[in-house]
Amino acid sequence: MAMVQPRNLKYRVWCARVGLWAFLAVTLFPFFMIISISFRAGNFATGSLIPENPSLEHWSLALGIPWVNADGSITEPFFPVLTWLWNSIKVAFFSSALILILSTSSAYAFARLRFRFREHMLTAMMILQMFPAVLALVAIHALFEKIGHYLPWLGLNSLSAVTISYIGGLALHIWLIKGYFETIDNSLEEAAAIDGATPWQAFRLVLLPLSVPILAVVFILAFITAIGEYPVASVLLHSMDKLTLAVGSRQYLNPQNYLWGDFAAAAILSGLPITIIFVLCQRWIVGGLTAGGVKG
Amino acid sequence: MAEVKLSGISKSYDGGKTWVIKDVNLSINDGEFVAFVGPSGCGKSTLLRMICGLEDITSGELSIKGERVNDLSPHERHVGMVFQSYALYPHMTVEKNMAFGLKLAKADESVIDQRVNDAARMLQLETFLPRKPKALSGGQRQRVAIGRSIVQQPSVFLFDEPLSNLDVSLRVQMRQELAGLHRRLKTTSIYVTHDQVEAMTLADRIVVLSPLGPKDSTNLEQVGPPLELYNRPANMFVAGFIGSPQMNFLDGHLESSGTERAVITLKTGDTVEVNCDAHSAKAGDKVFVGIRPEHISAQFSSMDNNESGKNRILTKIVAEELLGSESFIYCHHEAALGAIIIRVMEITSKPHDQSLSVSLPPKCCHLFNEEGTAFPRAGLPEVF
Repeated sequence: MAMVQPRNLKYRVWCARVGLWAFLAVTLFPFFMIISISFRAGNFATGSLIPENPSLEHWSLALGIPWVNADGSITEPFFPVLTWLWNSIKVAFFSSALILILSTSSAYAFARLRFRFREHMLTAMMILQMFPAVLALVAIHALFEKIGHYLPWLGLNSLSAVTISYIGGLALHIWLIKGYFETIDNSLEEAAAIDGATPWQAFRLVLLPLSVPILAVVFILAFITAIGEYPVASVLLHSMDKLTLAVGSRQYLNPQNYLWGDFAAAAILSGLPITIIFVLCQRWIVGGLTAGGVKG
Repeated sequence: MAEVKLSGISKSYDGGKTWVIKDVNLSINDGEFVAFVGPSGCGKSTLLRMICGLEDITSGELSIKGERVNDLSPHERHVGMVFQSYALYPHMTVEKNMAFGLKLAKADESVIDQRVNDAARMLQLETFLPRKPKALSGGQRQRVAIGRSIVQQPSVFLFDEPLSNLDVSLRVQMRQELAGLHRRLKTTSIYVTHDQVEAMTLADRIVVLSPLGPKDSTNLEQVGPPLELYNRPANMFVAGFIGSPQMNFLDGHLESSGTERAVITLKTGDTVEVNCDAHSAKAGDKVFVGIRPEHISAQFSSMDNNESGKNRILTKIVAEELLGSESFIYCHHEAALGAIIIRVMEITSKPHDQSLSVSLPPKCCHLFNEEGTAFPRAGLPEVF
């Protein structure tokens, strides 16, 4: 593209570059700090970015391996970090999967079917979603306590309770998927109906394969939210082996004893599943899936 | 192979307050090719979608092959539809697109293969079978959409403006292919278009629909073979819609009438004689004279350019369109509704504001009463 540019463009490009580098530094600095802290001997939040005497102490404890100190004494891992990580992954995976199933089917209804109070329900969902889940903590606690009397596996201090309560964040995803469905021409499903497909077949064989990118995005978003969620999980979970990583890593920060190094290692661990899920889902996030199907 | 019968078909979206389609009665014969034409908003696509089963029928009865199908799904009606937007499944190859319906019906693998290959051969799509729709051109995509209908072997083909997304040369080519396809398959076909050339060239019969006014009892204006609609339009709407540029109308009242000819005095005082049977009307009734641009004759070289006399009217040139092979001259005349358009074979430019005397041959004139209904034309050969 040979567009004629004003002469001072070069300086502006350099300004933009400097600005972007500065922005990157500000964004990435905390991340490097955490990595640095997790490799630093002892529990110190401050220090140079490159640890002076690097140690794998915190990582060893986080991974559940007893650490042999320099004086020969042995430090046992304080907390079952890997169990917490596994709990987090289970909760995040199942809640995201449930969110995906429910929001896809309700988004289909909102995008394609005509029924009474459709617009009102959409608005209501949006408004209700604006209240933070923290406001409902008491209600959530009371609810699952009661449920626990009848279904112990779904009561307080169970991972299934956390999973179910995370589904509450559905409205945003319904809006997101509905918006995507509406970009897909209705005539595709009509053509499928003429070809003899039931509405369910048209949904599963035509609409869903075309919606894979948005489904991947929704899954990732739901997964990230679930991995990082603290308030609800902290109210619902009590026993040490049931905690999620987000709640559990708070255990390192006792008022008298801030175990920054162990905390940092746990924090990085919690980013691991998100990264893996993102890498796995990334190949589904592609544009142009609907290209060539319709013209108009 | 099937005949389609519409009796009293009506459509309303708001429970009877406003109607989109009202009281359409139509019988389509087995193997016939029928085109629905009309300006946008006349409900022609809605009517097609009602026949297809994509829209429900508010009242009236639709039957295919003599069976009432009002409450059957599109698939149970055994119709095939070709959409304006193609509506191909973008994530499937051409082959899978065409086989989709048969796969759902759990047809034998060999049957599927054979039908898909037959359709592909017929439509010259064999080399494109493994491709996805996005790797095809517009015309090829439309052929795949047609092929997808063919493999289902429907009793009725429905086309919803299938060619309007193609460029002009491709449209002409696809038109020929569609005509050839219909000759070979002889399946009853209903074709919706706003392009009257497509309708005139493809259809055995044309159905003209008009937008529904508050007082109209139906939007079905006229049904007939293409040339009958051209030569004997039933009313001013059809007369104005069929033919391009559209028919000119002149405002006047009836002077005298008989079964063979009528004399009309225009608003401007000119008298025009027309070969129409207007004996049902009285002298003094308000009427409209209609004449097509290609039937008006104008002599630029003649000396009597300023003469105004019987069946000659004096107009003033306001604009012109030179198309090379022919020209359209837009003239102003007091009695005309809008500009008078004249088609001439001369291709040289004419000065504006020049007066031009044109003659209206009596046997080419149409006559309409105040409501717009046509009087029968006299002296036309019966074949039209």
